[in-house]
Amino acid sequence: MQKLKSIFFICLFFAAGINLLLAYAQAIGHLEDRTSIPLHSLGYQFMGLENVFKGIRTVGYFTDKNLDNPLAVAQFEQAQYMLAPTVLDLNHTQYHWVIFDCTSPQVAMGAIQHLGFTPLKINHGIILAFNPNGV
Amino acid sequence: MILYLLGILLSLSAGYLVIRLLTNGEFNPILHILLAIVLGFGIIGTLTFYTHILFNFPNRFLSIGIVILGILILYLGFNKNNRSFPLIRMTKDYKIGLITLGLLTVPLAISGHYYPLGGWDAWSCWSLKAKFIFLGQENWKDVLAPNLWRSNTHYPLLWPLINVWFWDLGGQFNQAIPMFNSIAFALLTAGLLLFGLLELTGNLWVSIAASVIVTSLPLGVTLYTSQYSDALLGLFLLSAFLSLLLAKKYNLPKLKILCVIFLGAMSFTKNEGLIAAMILALLIFWHEGSNKKELKLMAISFFIALLPTIIFTLWIAPKNEAFINGLVSVEKPSNWGRLSVILIYPLFEFISWKWNGFWILTFLGAILAGRKLWQSTLGLIGLSLILYLAVVMAYYYVNTFFEIGWWLSTTLSRILFALIPTIILWILLGILNPKEKTGTH
Repeated sequence: MQKLKSIFFICLFFAAGINLLLAYAQAIGHLEDRTSIPLHSLGYQFMGLENVFKGIRTVGYFTDKNLDNPLAVAQFEQAQYMLAPTVLDLNHTQYHWVIFDCTSPQVAMGAIQHLGFTPLKINHGIILAFNPNGV
Repeated sequence: MILYLLGILLSLSAGYLVIRLLTNGEFNPILHILLAIVLGFGIIGTLTFYTHILFNFPNRFLSIGIVILGILILYLGFNKNNRSFPLIRMTKDYKIGLITLGLLTVPLAISGHYYPLGGWDAWSCWSLKAKFIFLGQENWKDVLAPNLWRSNTHYPLLWPLINVWFWDLGGQFNQAIPMFNSIAFALLTAGLLLFGLLELTGNLWVSIAASVIVTSLPLGVTLYTSQYSDALLGLFLLSAFLSLLLAKKYNLPKLKILCVIFLGAMSFTKNEGLIAAMILALLIFWHEGSNKKELKLMAISFFIALLPTIIFTLWIAPKNEAFINGLVSVEKPSNWGRLSVILIYPLFEFISWKWNGFWILTFLGAILAGRKLWQSTLGLIGLSLILYLAVVMAYYYVNTFFEIGWWLSTTLSRILFALIPTIILWILLGILNPKEKTGTH
């Protein structure tokens, strides 16, 4: 039994050593590759809008993207995080301010014109529009 | 950074004095400090719940002021009774232990910096709630709006409230705070495992190996720095079991009170934390049922620590929008197919490369430890882990809102991740088999 315990502890030390080496290798990988931070750049496109939405509790968020696609959901949730504490009401446009995050700026502009809104600001294809009849 | 360290110092002081009050400083000073920081996090999160959430009074000076006032009252109380604070005698073992923690800090800090916003659930749930509470002030309840169902609006708030307390201290929202907290939780887990095992077994190198194997597992590093509440759940669970084991070892019954306080705090980390806390508390009450006076004190302490969870769950949290009862649903019924996936999937999870053989090693360790794992306090730990996992698996079966393969693939590893510090502690204590004291201290 004592021999088995010794073998177990050798395995334990070996596994700990391997984990530590791999953790350092992963860390070095992170240091060498700062460009491909997964999903993290999605929300930066919305930065600055929080100044427009100061004191506003809810704005609309219109998208024609397929929300079964995790990237589209991630973009919406990053936008929500960046703009909190303003609530983004997904695919509801009855508010004064509506963010259009569409598959292309042309699609977004088409939707804005169709709804009779005024486009005010564009950043990386994201368009902020004003609804004169909004609540 | 300086303000963050000041916040840690304040929570450490609050936790330290409370533990001192319970134990009269009669156990290992390093463990005392580590457990004090964990308790301090629980205290500041709970206080922020009462000020910002329950009484909807988001004055930042109130949550900070109450902590400082509490520290002063406790400290003056100690001075009055002329109690001294023991200094740490820095032995060679302690120095090696601290160097190990330093080594573990490097990959954690780099990973934390690499994921400044944390993982998906950090920005869509935990940190989002914190931002709403801090920046939304009296309108914080907007975070519970039904259209934010993706952010798990019914989930408890301890980690978000801890972040809010630190932002209160700094006077502004700062994205670095959740990142610092994630690293602090990881290092506290590593430290408690290392010095806890060292205290309980006297075996330095096994204690170091246990701490390193858990905290430097690459999946673990990623999950710790993802800023998910699972890390906090795991930390409170480990702290609760360590307090219980130390209570037995040194015959310090008041450490059992600390154990149930940690369980109460754990219940406010996640819904899974509430399940684990209830199971474990009931088992402890049953196990310790012979001493009625002790039992009464433990039950009252547990209830007080559980109060924010009770208030939030019963009166504030909206209903879970991501729930379909598969037992009664015609459209999405719980069926044999779902059950077979639930039973088979964990086997593949256990042998998955992402765990680097952790579960295989654990399985071998469990065989080596044998019956000792099921005796006395270790038996209590084992039984509670099994019951907890059984309830979690039953929930996977009953709630058919999500496709089971996808749900297991995205959540099971996190549930297991929260348990691994406790599991390695349990297995190693079973193998090394330290004796519990039975006499008076």
